Amino acid sequence: MITTVLVANRGEIARRVFRTCRDLGIRTVAVHTDVDADALHVRDADVAVHVTSYLDADAVLAAAKEAGADAIHPGYGFLSENAAFARAVTGAGLAWIGPTPEVIEQMGRKDAARDLALAAGVPVVPSYRLDEDPASFVYPVLVKAAAGGGGKGMRVVRSAAELPEGIASAKREAATAFGDDTILIEKYVERGRHIEVQVLGDTHGHVVHLGTRECSVQRRHQKVIEEAPAPALEDDLRERIHASAVALSASVGYVNAGTIEYLLDAATGDFYFLEMNTRLQVEHPVSELHAGVDLVLAQIAVAAGDPLPFDQAGLQFADHAIEARIYAEDAFGGFLPQAGTATVVSWPARARVDHALESGQVVSTSYDPMLGKVIVSGPDRESARRALVAALDDTAILGLTTNTGFLRQLAASAEFTEPGGIDTAWLDRNAVPTPDPAPARAIAARLWLDAHSEQTGPFAGDGFRMGAAPAPVLVEFADGSVTLTPARGSHAKWSSEQPVRMTSRVTAHGVELAHHGQRHVFLRPDASTDHAAVAGDGTLLAPMPGTVLDVRVAEGDAVTAGQVVGVVEAMKMELALKAPYDGVVTTVGAAAGQQVALGAVLFVIEENDG
Amino acid sequence: MSETTGSEPTLRELSAELRERLARVRQGGSEAARTKHTDRGKLLPRDRVDGLLDPGSPFLEVAPLAAYGMYGKPGADADDHAVPAAGVIAGIGRVQGRNCLVVANDATVKGGTYYPISVKKHLRAQTIAAENNLPCIYLVDSGGAFLPMQDEVFPDKEHFGRIFFNQANMSARGIPQLAAVMGSCTAGGAYVPAMSDETVIVKEQGTIFLGGPPLVKAATGEVVSAEDLGGGDVHARKSGVVDHLADDDAHALRILRGIVDTLPAPVPSAASDVEEPLEAPETLYDVVPSSTRTPYDVREVIRRLVDGSRFQEFKQLYGETLVCAFARIHGHQVGIVANNGILFSESALKGAHFVELCNQRGIPLLFLQNITGFMVGREYENRGIARDGAKLVTAVACSVVPKLTVVIGGSFGAGNYGMCGRAYDPRFLWMWPNARISVMGGDQAANVLATVAGREDDDEFKRPIREQYEAQGSPYYASARLWDDGVIDPADTRRILGMALEITTAVPVADPSYGIFRM
Repeated sequence: MITTVLVANRGEIARRVFRTCRDLGIRTVAVHTDVDADALHVRDADVAVHVTSYLDADAVLAAAKEAGADAIHPGYGFLSENAAFARAVTGAGLAWIGPTPEVIEQMGRKDAARDLALAAGVPVVPSYRLDEDPASFVYPVLVKAAAGGGGKGMRVVRSAAELPEGIASAKREAATAFGDDTILIEKYVERGRHIEVQVLGDTHGHVVHLGTRECSVQRRHQKVIEEAPAPALEDDLRERIHASAVALSASVGYVNAGTIEYLLDAATGDFYFLEMNTRLQVEHPVSELHAGVDLVLAQIAVAAGDPLPFDQAGLQFADHAIEARIYAEDAFGGFLPQAGTATVVSWPARARVDHALESGQVVSTSYDPMLGKVIVSGPDRESARRALVAALDDTAILGLTTNTGFLRQLAASAEFTEPGGIDTAWLDRNAVPTPDPAPARAIAARLWLDAHSEQTGPFAGDGFRMGAAPAPVLVEFADGSVTLTPARGSHAKWSSEQPVRMTSRVTAHGVELAHHGQRHVFLRPDASTDHAAVAGDGTLLAPMPGTVLDVRVAEGDAVTAGQVVGVVEAMKMELALKAPYDGVVTTVGAAAGQQVALGAVLFVIEENDG
Repeated sequence: MSETTGSEPTLRELSAELRERLARVRQGGSEAARTKHTDRGKLLPRDRVDGLLDPGSPFLEVAPLAAYGMYGKPGADADDHAVPAAGVIAGIGRVQGRNCLVVANDATVKGGTYYPISVKKHLRAQTIAAENNLPCIYLVDSGGAFLPMQDEVFPDKEHFGRIFFNQANMSARGIPQLAAVMGSCTAGGAYVPAMSDETVIVKEQGTIFLGGPPLVKAATGEVVSAEDLGGGDVHARKSGVVDHLADDDAHALRILRGIVDTLPAPVPSAASDVEEPLEAPETLYDVVPSSTRTPYDVREVIRRLVDGSRFQEFKQLYGETLVCAFARIHGHQVGIVANNGILFSESALKGAHFVELCNQRGIPLLFLQNITGFMVGREYENRGIARDGAKLVTAVACSVVPKLTVVIGGSFGAGNYGMCGRAYDPRFLWMWPNARISVMGGDQAANVLATVAGREDDDEFKRPIREQYEAQGSPYYASARLWDDGVIDPADTRRILGMALEITTAVPVADPSYGIFRM
C-alpha cells in the first residue's frame, strides 16, 4: 500500500505523476532546486522539499524520509536509470516505482543488453569483428567508435575497398573525440525507422506489451514527434515485434514499465534490437491513449506488489495517438536554444497537454529545453494528424521562440502525412521550410489597427476620405507593410477575411503573435529607435580642441558601425570617436599625443556599398 | 443648367459630378510631372499625407477644389483643373492619436508655387489650426511665390508673409509648428522650416536657401550647387536651420510622427456608442428635390444627420420657417438652426433666442442654410423686419460657441448673414453640390438692374446678368475662391460634422456677450 509518493524529478513529468497520485488519493511530494522554487510542479504537490540538485541521490532520499514518502517515482532522466539509487531507495525501505536495480544495471550496459537480447532470440544489428574478412561483410557497413555518440567517429562504408580508410579515419576521430580508438563494425541500415514497444511487468511474473510506438521523427537523436501505434507495419511484422519485446522482458524478469527500442530497416522489414529503457518514457502518453491505460497507475500498482489489473487479452488497442514535443529552441534559426520569459502561454483546449509552463514563467537553459507535450488522438492516423495540426495551431507561446511552428509545419507536411514516411535521419537531411510571415503579418496589421485606431465615431480608422472611396490603409512594419482595404461606411471592416482569433500582444510599437504555432514579432518602424548616425558623412571631426589619446585604426582598415576608431581627450573628458557605419577608413588625420583644433578632420570613413 | 429645361440634375447626379471632380483634383499634376517627381525617389504629396497620418486615419480635407476653374481658359475641363487644389493639400487627420493640421505642397503642380489662392488656402488652414489649437505640420516642397502673379501673392496683409506671422503667433500660443523639407524651400518659403519649432529635412532632396544657386551667381558670382548651398547635410550639421536629417520621405514622416509623439498628450476624444440615423446617409439624395423651387421639409435632412434621428425642437409652433432643435451628432450635443422657408420676423427672433440659448449652455451651433432671404415688402419693412434680422445677426456674430455651417441649398442676401455665412466666422463652412450663393438670385438681379436702367423688358440686357449670377453662384466658383472649406457629398455630411465637432469642441469657449440688440 503506497500512501505518499515523492517524484524525484521536475517539470511536466513530475506533474504527470502527481496527477495520477491525486486520482488515487496518494499524497505527493515534490523536490526542487533554487530556480524551481516557484515551479508548477512544486505548486502541484502537497509537500515540497528543497534539494541542491535533482541528481543528488542522498538529498532526494533524505527528502523522501523527511516528507514521509513511502515510494519514489523517478520520472525520466536524472536518477531514473541509476541502479545505485534504486537500490538505495529499496534499501531504505521505500518502494521504487520502476524495475529492479539488477535489470537497470544489465540493460544500462550495451554489450550486456545485446547479449540478453540474443539469448532471448531477439534480432540484433549484425556486427563484424575487425579480424574478419572484409569481403564477407554485407555492405554498407557502419564503422563507429565503441565509446562514441553524437555521430562522431562514424563512417558509412559501402565496399570492402573503402574499409581500411574508413576504419583509419574513424579511429583517428574516435581517438581525438573520446581518447579511445576502439572501433565497431556493424550493418548499416540506409533507411531506418525507430520502432519501440511499451511493456509492463509485475512481480507475479506477468509481462504484457502495450503495442508499438514510432519515434522516427527525430533530429540528431532527439525525438520530435512520436505516435502509437507505429503505422505502416504488416500485421505479421507487428506481431513479431510485440512477441520479441515480451520475450526479452520476460527473460530478464522485467518488472514495471519499460520500453524496448528497435531499428526497423524500411527496405527489408528486418528489425533489430537497439536498447531497453528501464523507465517511463517521455512519449508514454501516446501508448496510454492507444491502449487506454494509465501507465503511472499501473506502475504504482506494480510497485505496491499488486498484479497487473489486465492481461494481454484484456488490452484493447483503439485510437491512434500522436505527441509533439514543444522545445524552447529556434527551429528555423539553427535550432539554437531559447531562453526568456514566456509572457503569454496558451495551450490548446482540444488536446492532452502534459506541460509545466504557464504565462509569465522564466525559461532558463539550466534544464531540459522541453516545455511540454501536445498529445492528440483519433480513430485513425489521419484524423489524429489533423487533430495535431489543429492543436498546434491553437498553441501559442509568446515572449520566447519555441519549435511549435516547426512542429506544425512538419505535422502538415506530405512526408509526415505518409504513414511511416519519415525515417530517423530525415530531419537531418531535410530542412522544414520557414513559414511565410505574410499571413501572420496581415493579421498583425489588423490587430494593430484594431488596437490603435478608433473603431467607431467620426475619426474611426477606416480611411475615410471626403467624396471618395476610403483610402487603403497601410500598416507599416519594419520587415514589410500590409495594405488593408476598408469597406466604405462600415467601420473597421477589412477586406482581409481572416478571422482574428489568436493569442497576441499588441503595443504601440508592434505586434507579437503566434500563427500556426510560430511566434512572430512585427515591429512598427520608429524613428526614435534609429540612433545610428545618419549615413552620408563619414568624416569624424575633433569635437573639441584637445589631445588625441588613441588612434585604433589605420588607413585601409575595415570598420563596423559603432566601432571606436580613436579617442580624444578634451575638457578632462575622454570622447570616443565611433564609425558611423560599416566601411573602410580612408583617412587618418591624427596621431596619438597630437594636439588638435576644434573641427580638425581626424578620420574619414567610406561607407560600404549596400 | 437652364431653368427652362425643367430637367435639373438631381442631388445624386450633382454628387456624382462632385466625386469625379474631386478624383481629378486628387491626381495632382500631370502624369509627366508625377512621374518625374516619383522618379526622384519622392513620394507624391497625398502619399506623404497618408504616410504621415496614422494608418486608417480619416482626413478632413480643406478646400480640395481651391483654384478650380480660376487659372485656365473658362469652360475647358483641363483648364478648370489647371492648378489642382491650388497646389497645396490641407486638412486635418490623426497623427499618433492627435488631431493635426497638415499642409503639403504639391510640387507636381507648377512646382508647388503659390498662386494667390494657394496663399489664401494656406492661411485658411492656419486659421483652422489657430482656432482649434491643432498642431501644424508643413510638408514643404515648393518653389515659393508664383512670380507672374507676385502682386497678388506678396505684398498685402493676407499674403505670403502672413504664413510666417501665423507660425510665430501660433508657436507663441503653444500650438506646435513642425515642418519637413522634402524638396525646394526657396526664398520666403525658407521661413516655413526656419519658423517651425522642429524641422526635418530629407537628405539630397530637401533644400533651403533664401536665394537659390542662380540668384547667388547673379548677385555675387559665386557658383555653388544646391546641395552645398542649402542641402540636408548643410542645414543639419552646419547651419542648424533644421533639427533632423532624414534618409528619405518615409523616414522624414516617421521622424515627424516621433516628434508628434513627444507633444503633450492630447485630450482624449469622447468616443461613445452612438445611434446612427434611422435612414442611411445616401437617402439624403432623394430628400432634396432637384428644383430649388420645390419646397421640402428640412427636418428630413436633420433626421439623416443626427444620432438616432432624434432632435428636440425649440418653438416648433412659432416662426415655423426656421427650425431650431437640439440634437447630437456622433455623440456631440449640437444646436441646429435650419431654414425651412423664407425668414420672417418671428423666425429671426426665434433664431436669435435659440442662438443665445446655445451660447448660454455652451452648445455648438450647426447652421443648415437654404435661404433666399428675409421677407420683403411694405408690411414687413414697416413692422421692422430689419430690426429682427439684426437681432439674429447680432446673436450669430457674437456667438462664442463653435459654429458650423452647411449650405444645403440657397445662400442669398441677408439670409447668408443671419445663417452664419463666411463673414460670421463659422469654424467650418461647407456647401452641398446643389448649393447656390449670391447676393440675390440671378433673375432678381437682372430685374433690379433692368429696372434701374429702365430696360425692364429687355431680355438682351438681362441675360448676361443672369448668366453672370448663374456662374458665380455655383458652389465650385465659391469653393475655388475659398468662400467655403469645400463642396461636400451630402452623404458625407454627418461624418464630416462629427469630425468637425470633435475638433472644434476640444477648445474651451469664453463667456458670451453681445452687442446691442435693437429692440
